[in-house]
Amino acid sequence: MIAENTQTQMRKGILDYCILSIISRGEIYASDIISELKEAQLLVVEGTLYPLLNRLKNNGLLSYNWQESTGGPPRKYYQITDMGREVLARLDVTWRELVFAVETSLKGKK
Amino acid sequence: MNRTIIININSIVFHIEEDAYEALRSYMIDIKRHFGNREGSKEILEDIENRIAEMFNERIESGRKEVINMLDVQEVIGRMGRVSDFEGEEDIEEKEHEYYSAEKPLGSTFETGKKLMRDSEDKILGGVCSGLGHYFGMEARWIRLLVILFVLIGGSGVLVYIVLWMVMPEAATRADRMSMRGEVPNLQNFKKSFDEEGGSFADKLSGAGEHLSRGAKSAGGMLGGCLSLIGKLIAWCILLVTGLSIVGFVIFYVFNMMNLFGLENPIVFPPLEVLGREDAVVALTFGFLALLIPFVAFFLLLVRILFKTEKLNNYASLTMFAVWIVSVVGVIYYCIYANQDFREKSTINVQKDIATEDIYVFTENDIRTLDANDKDAPKSKFYNRFEGQDLRNYMRSDIAINFASLDSLTQPYIQYSYSAKGKTYQLAAERAGNIKYSAIQEGKKILFPSHFILEGSPLSRDQQVRVTVFLPKGAKVVLNNEIRSKTWSVNYGNCLNNYGEGVEPNYTEWIMTDKGLICAVEAPSVKEKEEAEEKKGEGNIESEVRVGEGIVVETTIN
Repeated sequence: MIAENTQTQMRKGILDYCILSIISRGEIYASDIISELKEAQLLVVEGTLYPLLNRLKNNGLLSYNWQESTGGPPRKYYQITDMGREVLARLDVTWRELVFAVETSLKGKK
Repeated sequence: MNRTIIININSIVFHIEEDAYEALRSYMIDIKRHFGNREGSKEILEDIENRIAEMFNERIESGRKEVINMLDVQEVIGRMGRVSDFEGEEDIEEKEHEYYSAEKPLGSTFETGKKLMRDSEDKILGGVCSGLGHYFGMEARWIRLLVILFVLIGGSGVLVYIVLWMVMPEAATRADRMSMRGEVPNLQNFKKSFDEEGGSFADKLSGAGEHLSRGAKSAGGMLGGCLSLIGKLIAWCILLVTGLSIVGFVIFYVFNMMNLFGLENPIVFPPLEVLGREDAVVALTFGFLALLIPFVAFFLLLVRILFKTEKLNNYASLTMFAVWIVSVVGVIYYCIYANQDFREKSTINVQKDIATEDIYVFTENDIRTLDANDKDAPKSKFYNRFEGQDLRNYMRSDIAINFASLDSLTQPYIQYSYSAKGKTYQLAAERAGNIKYSAIQEGKKILFPSHFILEGSPLSRDQQVRVTVFLPKGAKVVLNNEIRSKTWSVNYGNCLNNYGEGVEPNYTEWIMTDKGLICAVEAPSVKEKEEAEEKKGEGNIESEVRVGEGIVVETTIN
């Protein structure tokens, strides 16, 4: 249970970072985000993504606009906000720090 | 061939097969419940619905595949992920928030996460028992058995049932039913639930088996198995007893009915005699049904448990219940009705002189025995007719005879007190007046009939005859043994013993004194006793001698 909690928290932090990174490359549709995350083996099911996107949007890191699609319902395309970019830049720094910290710790273990 | 349902997701219309629709609906209910109280849940749900609509849209090929089926729904749900898949991805605070705020009927979640709800799909009355069964992981049959036991023992079960019926919410939707059974409402369980419900009777049976095994598991595996075996044995025993009781009731009813319609037989139920024939027929029927129906219901339930047969349809069981209620009310009515007719008591006193004699011999005149030579001679022990009337209805033997003293040389007489009860004093008096009872004097002999006869309507209303024989002091009295059972305040047994061991006279001799009748024979002395033992072989001669002595003693006192 303790391990699970830690895993969940680690994964959650990384998920936000990855999603922001993916969206920062340009406007993108939710199911395309999913396929990238699936490839990265971070997320498996789409259902999990919507609450995350919703939270990031509510925090003002993302915005979306509706676009017509061929033969289907209109789609929500997500894009990163300025605030999102700021947060992402800080996360980049943090990530590099984390990688360094983890690598150092692991080296020390060996 | 499958029925399809038309649904509308975000303004896009889809045709969807019925089972697929149920699966999708259940899934959406789960999702709603999962995201329920969260900030922005509405938007998340919209996103998910939109995506589902899009995925359905991708699967539809105009002209070739226009209907969404179970497979499509399963695949879409697989891609979207189940509620259980979401849980790992959310942070702990949110999870806890979700756990405590999620809407829970009655707020009562057992360790298993089951919800206490009424099962409207397996119900006899309100589905309370089956709901309890799901909750405690037992088969509903056993709960029903318990409830019926509580109903039979003091009726407390009725109240408990009604309260639970009001308190427990009904499991209306499929998701409700799944949470009632403690199944995590996800697609697999949902599909199982759908198959169970939609399937044939055989499927239902396997479903019941599943419930049983689930119940046994929660009761602790082996122990549960043992318990259900013991339970089955007990159920068999109860079944046998219940069945025999039902047969007994029917026999009792039929024979009592025969009695009421003039076919005499030995099975008599005395309380019925307080009612007139027409009333008795109705009251007996009510009583019969009031007793029989719970037993029959119990019997059918046991049969259902043991043989896993289908339950009685609701119409039949409701009818049975209604008839039972009416019968109980009827029985109560007749109890009150009959009781009312016992409210007032009336006594009529009549005095009749008897001729003075120096010795009075009281004996009983068994009017049934006299009847033996009549044309209505008894055909059997239970067939008693007198002057064309059924003696059982017209004859009562509640007679007590007392003895009291008068001054010597006064005219002796007999006082008769006839009493009866009725709704009013007049009615009671009328009934008392209908009692015909009088002793016959034949010289020294005074004959008391064994029974009194009722004229008019022969309803049993506590009719009694109390006789007091007033005799002058010093009068000699002989009481025949036949009259012993009617004598009152006379120590007949002691007097009989005074004749000594081995002597069994068929009468006793008495003498009237200030204190009433006393035995004319004194208790034998020790010496006499010894003699009596010596001469045991000649008991008859001995008794004759003693009788002689007894009379001598009397004369002396006189």
